[in-house]
Amino acid sequence: MSLLLPMKKEEYLSSSKELLNQSPDLVQKVFNHEGQLIIVQFIHYQINKDQLEDELLEIITKSNRPWTNEALLNKIPIASTKQENKMDAIIEQMIHGSVCIYIEGEKEATLFALPNQEHRSLNQAETESLVFGPQVSFTESLMTNLNVIRWRLDTSDLVTEKLIVGERIKSEIRIVYLKSLADTENVDTIRQRISDLKVPEVEDTSVLGQLIEDSSSTVFPQLIFTELPDRFCQAIVKGRVGVMVDKSPTMLIGPMNLFSFFESTEDLYMRWNMGSFIRLLRFISMALSIILTPMYVAALTFHYEIIPSTLLVSLGQSRSTVPFPPVLEALLLEMLIELLREAGARLPTKVGQTMGIVGGIVLGQAAVEAGFTSNILIIIIALSALASFTAPSYLMGTAVRIIRFPMILLAGAWGIIGIVFALSFLVIHLLKQKSLGRPYLSPIYPLQWGDFNESIFRVPFQKNAERSKSLMTKDRSRYNESKAAERNDVDRL
Amino acid sequence: MKTNIPFHPDRAVQAFYLFFIIHTSQIGAGLMGVPRILVLEAGVDAWISVLIAGLYLHLVVFIMLQILKSYENADILGIQQDLFGVWIGKTLGTVYVLYIFLLLLTVIKNYIEVVQVFVFPEMPIWLMALFLLSLMVYSILGGFRVVVGTSVIFFFLTIWLVFTIYKPITYMDWEHFLPVFRTPAPDLLKGVQQVTFSVLGLEILFFVYPFIQDKKRAALPAHAGVFFTTFLILLVTVVSIGYFSPDQLKAIVWATLSLFKIISFSVLERFDFIAVALWMMVIIPNIVLFGWMIVHSLKRLFNAPKKPTLYGLAFLLFFTSITAEKRVALNELTNWTGEIGFWIVFVYPFLIYMMILLKKLMKKRNAS
Repeated sequence: MSLLLPMKKEEYLSSSKELLNQSPDLVQKVFNHEGQLIIVQFIHYQINKDQLEDELLEIITKSNRPWTNEALLNKIPIASTKQENKMDAIIEQMIHGSVCIYIEGEKEATLFALPNQEHRSLNQAETESLVFGPQVSFTESLMTNLNVIRWRLDTSDLVTEKLIVGERIKSEIRIVYLKSLADTENVDTIRQRISDLKVPEVEDTSVLGQLIEDSSSTVFPQLIFTELPDRFCQAIVKGRVGVMVDKSPTMLIGPMNLFSFFESTEDLYMRWNMGSFIRLLRFISMALSIILTPMYVAALTFHYEIIPSTLLVSLGQSRSTVPFPPVLEALLLEMLIELLREAGARLPTKVGQTMGIVGGIVLGQAAVEAGFTSNILIIIIALSALASFTAPSYLMGTAVRIIRFPMILLAGAWGIIGIVFALSFLVIHLLKQKSLGRPYLSPIYPLQWGDFNESIFRVPFQKNAERSKSLMTKDRSRYNESKAAERNDVDRL
Repeated sequence: MKTNIPFHPDRAVQAFYLFFIIHTSQIGAGLMGVPRILVLEAGVDAWISVLIAGLYLHLVVFIMLQILKSYENADILGIQQDLFGVWIGKTLGTVYVLYIFLLLLTVIKNYIEVVQVFVFPEMPIWLMALFLLSLMVYSILGGFRVVVGTSVIFFFLTIWLVFTIYKPITYMDWEHFLPVFRTPAPDLLKGVQQVTFSVLGLEILFFVYPFIQDKKRAALPAHAGVFFTTFLILLVTVVSIGYFSPDQLKAIVWATLSLFKIISFSVLERFDFIAVALWMMVIIPNIVLFGWMIVHSLKRLFNAPKKPTLYGLAFLLFFTSITAEKRVALNELTNWTGEIGFWIVFVYPFLIYMMILLKKLMKKRNAS
């Protein structure tokens, strides 16, 4: 049972203190104004003190008439106000940065929001870096992020729905989409899944993503997390749905398919042929990254015949001193690379460079000279590690590196049959995945030739007049294709 | 059991997937050895047999579609029950299930045999069976759409193997085809029958038809699927006859796979190892589609719960595939399946079609 106003001054002050667990940060100030007792309460670091003094206290004290709640609302130039009579609600508002003014005897207290939050300003993106294109990244403050998005997508069509999640610690969550474009079913799915959540708290967007994604048993991410406003906005404009969580600098986008994890915003900024080339390069490098090491293991363990004879000689020479079977050799080196990556990620950047030299050059060279591994395996492992880092989505790159380990084991046990089995399993596994209920292998199955334009290749903008079919956008056509190619140059006359 | 299956748009697929469904269920273990059995029957004129068989396949597809069109949304199980009554209908349905089981077993056993011959002589049968069956179970658990997706994706993953045939083509000797038109007609027809053995799986049309969204457009992809199958068999047969001599071909059991032996790249010698392993991806749609047919039919016929049926099927297949060991037994199994399949797939539809026509005639007479 919550305490209700009106109360006497002493009772009010003590119950406020009680509800805030005797917090030393609670400031309680009592003014005796024209015979009234006006009580001002706030948590001092949560509010903007300049504003408090200039726009609130000064007006209250300088007036020579008695104050009423009505007068407070009318006379004080602060837009965000509220009136409450429950003590619980009053305390909660104060925690969020409100100043509470209570005139003794009144039935309600008046709250003025003057929040003062400490947060960093917009910075350059660090985890997803671009060679060219916008460099700004999101920050931890939801308001700043919303501001950035509103500025990029300045249309009234943009919807930012508000949801509150968390039973113990509440987080504000925003669902962002274009009303005239995004599929209603997608939006409903996201809204439903978020509002169904019964969790004590949502730590971060990536946690929310894991809570609402379709399958938690797979290594493959089903939703994209990004810190780039331009990537987020591109997805929204394509008809996808975005989710923002307060206090998190990463945003979430869905529904996704496997191929969209290999799209970078840069593909759009570059010329179409460069963009297509680089995107194709990423697909190839993923395939190589998965296949190369297992193939080496399979070929050297069982199928010497498939290696060309000229290569076989040098391979045999460099492997002649290696005492282990190829599986063990490959697993050892793969582990080494994973260790290097993990250590590099944990260390500060200055030490990280030394790490690279020690790990990469010294260890690699020494391992070969000590007869620990063959030269060729070092090349192969380095190549496949490098290839796995080309994925624009860090989670996808990690997934690719993880599935390599069971494949190496299978290749070591049953050669090329093991590899094909693992690949088949992988394909069926991907086929079964969904992202927000939409098929994960989208343009390939269900087959949508038109969507290859955007997800596999990057065709010139003039040719890309239709939106992706698999996103089920409300408006299919982007523009009139014949008009887009039209050009009225001055010197044609 | 109702004759018609209630149509769910969520479980349905578009008509053009029929191309992949029909094609991938036809191409599989049969294609690996078809040139040899053809040449044994029809000699160097085997390609004529393939052409005749192709025409016949189109006729069968046409009849099948006619049968299916005369019902609203039915599959063969419902149609049989409608025509012959509950008991005979269910018995015939069970015969279908048993036949598909045999077919599935034949495919698995043949592929395991190939792997043992080409890649791993010591590969244990149980392990290969476990590999294939686990993939089958994993895919079928995803439902009809995943089953169709498996056939589509594995089609794309393996169809490029066709292009590697350019190398044997360059070594072909056209004189092997001479003299033309010397094979007597009965032998040619025997060849036709041999072709049909290798393209069993066409009956899937009878089972998936109720799950097709736009049924009016079903004819084109179905015929295209059959056409492409015929094309591949023709290509393989012609190239094998030209590349090997007919006498040599009679001694090569898996001629299609042997064609891969001369293909090599600068980074890859002995491509046949890869091709045989990749052939698993050709086999998988077969296994998955046939397995789905069995599970689906048992659900329709006896209302058997799907998951336990699937696990039971996998166990039974595992058990039967590790018991029969010898090549001779495998040959017998293959011949048997072919024989039964020929009657069920390529003759039986005509009977059903006649029954339907009769029934319509009777109705008209009764009405007037």
